[in-house]
Amino acid sequence: MKSLNRREFMKGTVGAAASLSVLSQPRVRAAGEKIVMGVMGLGGRGTYLAEKFAERPDVEIAYLCDPNTRRFARAREAVEEAQDTRPKMVQDFRKILDDKSVDALINATPDHWHGLGTIMACQAGKDVYVEKPMSHNIFEGRKMIEAARKYKRVVQVGMQSRSAAYSGKAKEYIQSGKLGDIYIIRVFNMMQHPMQRKVPDQPVPEGFDYDMWCGPAPKLAYNPGRQWLNQWEYSVGSIPGDLIHQLDMSRFLMNDIPYPKTVSHAGGVCALKDGREIPDTQMVTFEYGPLTLMTESALWTPYIKKIPGNIRDSDQFPVWPFCSTRVEILGTEGFMYYGRHGGGWQVYDANGELVHSEYGRQGDKEHQDNFIDCIRTRKRPNADVEIGHKSALLCHMANISYRVGNLKLDFDSQTETFTNCDEANKYIRREYREPWIVPENV
Amino acid sequence: MLSFGIAVLCCRCCYSQWLDISNVNFRQEPTELAGPKIIIEYDINEPNISPDSPAYVFVRYSTDSGKSWQLVPMDSLRGNGFDIVEKSGHKQIVWWGTQQTTFADANQVKVRIRSVDVVRIPAGQFVMKSLPGDGKDDSKEISPDPDLPLYYMAKNETTISMYADYLNELGSKEAGWNRRMTNENRCGVVRNNDGIYTVKPGRENYPVTYVSWYDAVNFLQWCGLRLPTEAEWEKTLRGGLYLDGDAAKKKPNPMPERRYPWGDESPDADGVFRCNFDSEDDGFAYSAPVGSFEKFSSPYGINDLAGNVAEWTLDWYTTSFHAGLDGFRMVRGGSWMAVAAACDAITGATQLPLKESSIMGFRGVKEATLRNGE
Repeated sequence: MKSLNRREFMKGTVGAAASLSVLSQPRVRAAGEKIVMGVMGLGGRGTYLAEKFAERPDVEIAYLCDPNTRRFARAREAVEEAQDTRPKMVQDFRKILDDKSVDALINATPDHWHGLGTIMACQAGKDVYVEKPMSHNIFEGRKMIEAARKYKRVVQVGMQSRSAAYSGKAKEYIQSGKLGDIYIIRVFNMMQHPMQRKVPDQPVPEGFDYDMWCGPAPKLAYNPGRQWLNQWEYSVGSIPGDLIHQLDMSRFLMNDIPYPKTVSHAGGVCALKDGREIPDTQMVTFEYGPLTLMTESALWTPYIKKIPGNIRDSDQFPVWPFCSTRVEILGTEGFMYYGRHGGGWQVYDANGELVHSEYGRQGDKEHQDNFIDCIRTRKRPNADVEIGHKSALLCHMANISYRVGNLKLDFDSQTETFTNCDEANKYIRREYREPWIVPENV
Repeated sequence: MLSFGIAVLCCRCCYSQWLDISNVNFRQEPTELAGPKIIIEYDINEPNISPDSPAYVFVRYSTDSGKSWQLVPMDSLRGNGFDIVEKSGHKQIVWWGTQQTTFADANQVKVRIRSVDVVRIPAGQFVMKSLPGDGKDDSKEISPDPDLPLYYMAKNETTISMYADYLNELGSKEAGWNRRMTNENRCGVVRNNDGIYTVKPGRENYPVTYVSWYDAVNFLQWCGLRLPTEAEWEKTLRGGLYLDGDAAKKKPNPMPERRYPWGDESPDADGVFRCNFDSEDDGFAYSAPVGSFEKFSSPYGINDLAGNVAEWTLDWYTTSFHAGLDGFRMVRGGSWMAVAAACDAITGATQLPLKESSIMGFRGVKEATLRNGE
């Protein structure tokens, strides 16, 4: 019988890859030794992360990976300009995982590849920086935690506001009790998205491994006008994919509140009726006992903007009512505006007087520093995979409430399932496409 | 009164890719009612210029002994030697209204004339297969057979020597220049201690790189040009439905949906290298001198739209996450670092306008000018 080489074996059965991994203690890198990384996904965010890590003297980007070779040049140029060595360009991320010299994988793929890409990297002994939302569904988020713990990997989720100094100060302020008892948090995420312009299905362009791009998701006919962010097959959604930063900050500011007891969603595809599946309007209520967390989010509000770049890293505050990425924290004695992207925070007292202001700076570099530090020290990172899961969970719960008809759902935190709607539990995990199956046993 | 100013010669031997202009002189002459006028005369010595492949000529002047320079507005010129010039030979330009608008004494004035190869792209429909803004900019209306008016596009990407000439005219400050440009393999513009910019010998004819979108726009405004839109760029690569335009319709485009400037063959089909992409077998490890693949130019004879350096365009890229904040722009055309397939008519990349990249350059476009009697 012809024996399989390692790659053929991994391709045949993803779950079996675990048996090939090294379960011994991860090697701790010496202080002066470079961390060797590969980057999976060369879109805007992946290219940005590749460049930022390549600029560090303590990191070498050894691989850049994307199924679409048309994305190679921009990322390669950015990395080559930032470091002395030329990265290898690959379409199959398993080549990164196969390379023993690689310490870590940056996973900046579309949502449907976050989970399995991270699990396979853990199995292959790599630490992982995975973009948010870290999972496509609740099931694979749980499996990502299991993989990280089993293989003793550092998994940092790209929720960088956790590493921003001003966020920590806001948390200290709230936890000191100066706002009184907090019963309401309002989370906003207002954006302006264009209508997608679907064109007839087309042949897959030369140089694009579309089968690999689809990976665990269904292989729909290739259509360049269809945006993956608008399809359940590939995405958690445009709103949750951005809102998660503010949701995560709400959890962070409240000392990482664990699980809501219920979720109820209102809204749907209201304005952008272009064939999309995922809502353009999402008003969600999460009940945490006496605390209620509410989101207001939409894709058709041009007058509400994200914080402009000149404010993000300066001693300025956004115009709060028109700040699309703000969090409002309502306590019995005070009220706080918190702005993502270094927007800072301000507190008003019971008389409506401004009593405290703190300017902010974005936390991207600090978040990357934290990842590198944790690779060396083996400590848990600021946005550890379990934190990432509990924040992504809110996005999944909101979507599931919508998909079962905007029903109010009761959630069991022990089993991470819904207790009053069987149909809702069908969305806990997805149908995976062979051979890209997230295994029960990672 | 007749007075003479100082004319400055600009020719190919000094600044590669500027066309050969000689015998520049100018004088001020009185008029009966409208004050003095300036008569500028020069010879343009390019036998190959024609109505289809003319020269774009622009005039810049200084009134402070060359410390600062300005573009002469085309609207104040008459004659046969400015803007689009279709024939070689002796030219005369009449510059009206200088006493009212710019300076009183021609003796204080210096004039420079520069010229660059452009190609006429006749008005008419073409097949556009990409969506401007990568399909994510709903500020644009896309029609299945877009129609563009007459315009002229530079035959070649802007060269290092042209850009160095521009920098030197800007003065001794570092505007428009960054230290990356000294990279001898990927660019080669050196700023000397005296503030003079020079080009690494042998690099004159290579495309300038490490230019931000703003650098490119500033250079082109200095010339009186602008960046092409994505539609203009794509039409130039493929050709219109009729290569002589919709008014004539005598030369149907045999391949109006072609993938590459030369047709549908891959850039390296049959071992023939048709552009400079990510293959050292094409003869170039980095960028190539402009026009190195002239045999495989576009149907209009424009070079290097495929590969060599990717080119900034005028179009915005507006995703939701960045709308109105970061001003992403579209870049077209693949590069020496791109795979062969990415050097086609539809591949685009998004870049922040501040990006200074070793694989990105630019070329200019001139809209057709309507003048009295036209």
